Amino acid sequence: MANVRYLSATRVFSKGAPPAVDALDLDVKDGEFMVLVGPSGSGKTTALRMLAGLEPIDRGGVEIGERDVTQVPPKDRDIAMVFQNYALYPQKTVAENMGFALKMQHVPRADRDRRVREAARLLDLDEKLLDRKPKQLSGGQRQRVAMGRAIVREPKVFLMDEPLSNLDAKLRVQTRSQIAELQRRLGVTTVYVTHDQVEAMTMGHRVAVLREGRLQQCDTPRQLYDNPVNQFVAGFIGSPAMNLQTVPLTDGGVQLGGTTFPLPAAAGAAAKQAGLKELVIGIRPEHLHLADGSGELRGEVLLVEELGADALLHVRLAGAGDPVVARAEGRRPPAQGQGVTFHVQTDDVFAFHPVTGARLAG
Amino acid sequence: MTVVEDLAVPPRTEVLPRGMGRRERWLRRLPLLPALIYVVVVTQIPFVVTLWYSFQNYFWDQPGGAHFTGLSNYKTVFTSPTFRGSLVRSVVMTVTAVIVAMILGVALAVLLDRKFFGRGVARTLVITPFLVMPAAAALVWAGPMLDPNFGLLNYLLAPFGVHHVAWLSTHALGSVIVVMIWQWTPFMTLIVLAGLQSQPTETLEAAKVDGAGALATFRELTLPHLRPYIELGILLGSIYLVNVFDAVRLMTNGGPGTSTTNLPFYLYQEVNNAFDVGGAAAAGVVTVILTIIVASFALRMFARVFQFEEARA
Amino acid sequence: MTSTTARPGPRRVPRWVGNVGWAVLAWAVALAFFTPVLWMAITAFKPESAAETWPPQFIFKPTLAEFRLAITGMGPFLVHSIIATVGSTVLVLLLGVPAAYALSVYPVRAWRDGLFFFISTKMLPIVAVIGPLYVIALHAHLLDSLGLLIILYTAMNLPLAIWMIRSFMLEVPNELLEAARLDGAGRVREMGSVILPVISPGLVSTALICMIFAWNELFLALNLTVTNAATMPMFLISSVPQEGLYIAHLSAAALIASIPVIIIGWLAQRSLVRGLSMGAIK
Repeated sequence: MANVRYLSATRVFSKGAPPAVDALDLDVKDGEFMVLVGPSGSGKTTALRMLAGLEPIDRGGVEIGERDVTQVPPKDRDIAMVFQNYALYPQKTVAENMGFALKMQHVPRADRDRRVREAARLLDLDEKLLDRKPKQLSGGQRQRVAMGRAIVREPKVFLMDEPLSNLDAKLRVQTRSQIAELQRRLGVTTVYVTHDQVEAMTMGHRVAVLREGRLQQCDTPRQLYDNPVNQFVAGFIGSPAMNLQTVPLTDGGVQLGGTTFPLPAAAGAAAKQAGLKELVIGIRPEHLHLADGSGELRGEVLLVEELGADALLHVRLAGAGDPVVARAEGRRPPAQGQGVTFHVQTDDVFAFHPVTGARLAG
Repeated sequence: MTVVEDLAVPPRTEVLPRGMGRRERWLRRLPLLPALIYVVVVTQIPFVVTLWYSFQNYFWDQPGGAHFTGLSNYKTVFTSPTFRGSLVRSVVMTVTAVIVAMILGVALAVLLDRKFFGRGVARTLVITPFLVMPAAAALVWAGPMLDPNFGLLNYLLAPFGVHHVAWLSTHALGSVIVVMIWQWTPFMTLIVLAGLQSQPTETLEAAKVDGAGALATFRELTLPHLRPYIELGILLGSIYLVNVFDAVRLMTNGGPGTSTTNLPFYLYQEVNNAFDVGGAAAAGVVTVILTIIVASFALRMFARVFQFEEARA
Repeated sequence: MTSTTARPGPRRVPRWVGNVGWAVLAWAVALAFFTPVLWMAITAFKPESAAETWPPQFIFKPTLAEFRLAITGMGPFLVHSIIATVGSTVLVLLLGVPAAYALSVYPVRAWRDGLFFFISTKMLPIVAVIGPLYVIALHAHLLDSLGLLIILYTAMNLPLAIWMIRSFMLEVPNELLEAARLDGAGRVREMGSVILPVISPGLVSTALICMIFAWNELFLALNLTVTNAATMPMFLISSVPQEGLYIAHLSAAALIASIPVIIIGWLAQRSLVRGLSMGAIK
């Protein structure tokens, strides 16, 4: 049980190339479930591997439990890792796979078997499977063996590298909650890597958003959703993605949807201070409320995606610009080609600097 | 290449539907026929003739041609100490060479598996013994390398107290085996190297995280993974090494005495020196029968290599 | 709270020491294996007087005299070797590709038996039938002819070639074949336009290995040829005189005889490696 700290950790793959992980500063509390999320190439897997000791740290360092482990080999860091493709030992049985680390630690056989059996029970793995080889298992079973191998070790930190990405959608949803529940029960500090922001939002106590090797924001899922620190985070978190558009700035506000739309006070002040002529506006699909003709924003429906409970409307707003997506009631959505209006609360509007992407606020 | 050791994976055979046309079945066999017929004709016909001659009394240098003599040739063969000796020697030479070559092969493969400066060139150097003409290798080892008076080996070993050893006289069998090993280790190395490079890196990383040091990883993970490759190397290597002729003929001519005579050389001598076609034929038939017996054991192991091969598909 | 430095601290043993040590060990072993070849090459350039000395000379005045001696009369042997090698390899490919195809893409129910049979012919030593083989060749007027060598070398290499080519064919993705079949390719077309191009590197590897074995073959050449079809290995043997100094001469002849295969093996190393490891190492 320990906390994890990245201290300006940097990894450069080849001289002269931009760093894969750039001066990452991250504090994971003891017992916390921290998710590293970002698009491919964001450095999240590299950062995880740096913590594991599988990737050397070129600058900076990493600590586990207040101890500097930057030069310590993986086996001495007291960590356990679940790999994306499970990395099960093909010639060993499930029981041997799970007990391998204990065998390396010279744990006596009886203890080993007991701990393996306990872990199997915890993960709902049938005893019969313990003598099978990985090839004879289904994908979901293999994933659980990989988790079992990690749990059995009772390490200080769990590391997980996209463990759900090889499962089909339904199994993924199921296993997601099982992993979260398991972590709650065991209370072990966990660092979890994924590219799927839904996993990040639902599983993590806190989420660290990475892009091109740099940490964008580390916060609770709620905070990331309500207070994104820049355009990238705003657009990355939330599904469907926030609508982002570059709009000209005027005295009364911004030009959008055929009308001049007022900005929140803090954002407006910041924009004026920066002397901007235009900026990027962000509005989440769920904040575009369909109004019967009385809304401020006008547009025409291009496409309706019916999801059952909701419908997603692709709308071209008056006054040019890219189409926006709005969420509407599923029961009787507008038809394609219909003219619609939307109402938006001023506080639901985010403003971002057009060049830096930073959020404009007080 | 991903190696899937799952023996339950079905091969890439299409299940032929019932009542598939006879024509279709024949068409599928057709491309195989030329090679099949060719090999049968070229290898089996001589064997049949050999069988026939084995029952004949036929000496090249005697007038009168061949005449039937029953099993007397076989009696000669079974009671000939030279034949039995050459059989034993063949086994000793082959087994020793294969095992040592494989052990060295594994060691070399491990060395070459890790990146280091000039690895490509090092690999080229290691492969070269396999490329050298066996006749050339035999002659070069016999002369410039092992000669008691001016050979390189005696020079290199002089600081260790070795003085002008006549290797081909006192250690003839060992010398021949050394040359066999020298020429076939590269072959084993390459096959094992293929195995090493096909090991998924993720599994090795998991072992690192699980606390396995280099030796433990090799023992617990790598060796089991290499098993089919090692078996393949041993199988193919044995097939070629059991028939080694050049080194024996050119280094020691089977001697001193008969101390390096293996089966191929023995048969060669029977034909060329004794002009005894009948006797040589009988010896040949016995050799073939013995080979079949050994081969059926080998083919059982081979079947496992086979499943490995087809699961690759 | 421990102080944290912004740079990694010193390791117990710097990483580069391990790498250098490994490289030194690997190079030492590689050179040890290569030494006999190197020695052969060096000795080939020695004048005979410098070749049989104690201690062996490493510094000497190199000369091409032995090469010149060695080359005299080599012409016919060289030509015979080339014809026998190339001829048998071509025949191997012509027979082997369809056979490998039948055993891999459209497997016959008894395919495994077929492959077993081919490999088993390799296990039966050709030496066992050399006597009667001689007699047959004599009666068929094939003794001391290149045709005989081509026939026999083909039979010698065919099993391995079929195994290797089949191995490469198995790697052709099924989807490729299915797409071709959907596009209406008949079997021959499927073979020609889809499979052959994809496995052509594998075919090159197979051809290389067959050529190596054919070029280096001694036993059959020794017993079944005299002058009209004598190959390079025979030439090499003939350069060992019954008496007199001969070491440098021998080395020169050995070098010349081996050089073609060595050079080809070096240049096409990747191909060779791929073939020997059945397509596993690219």
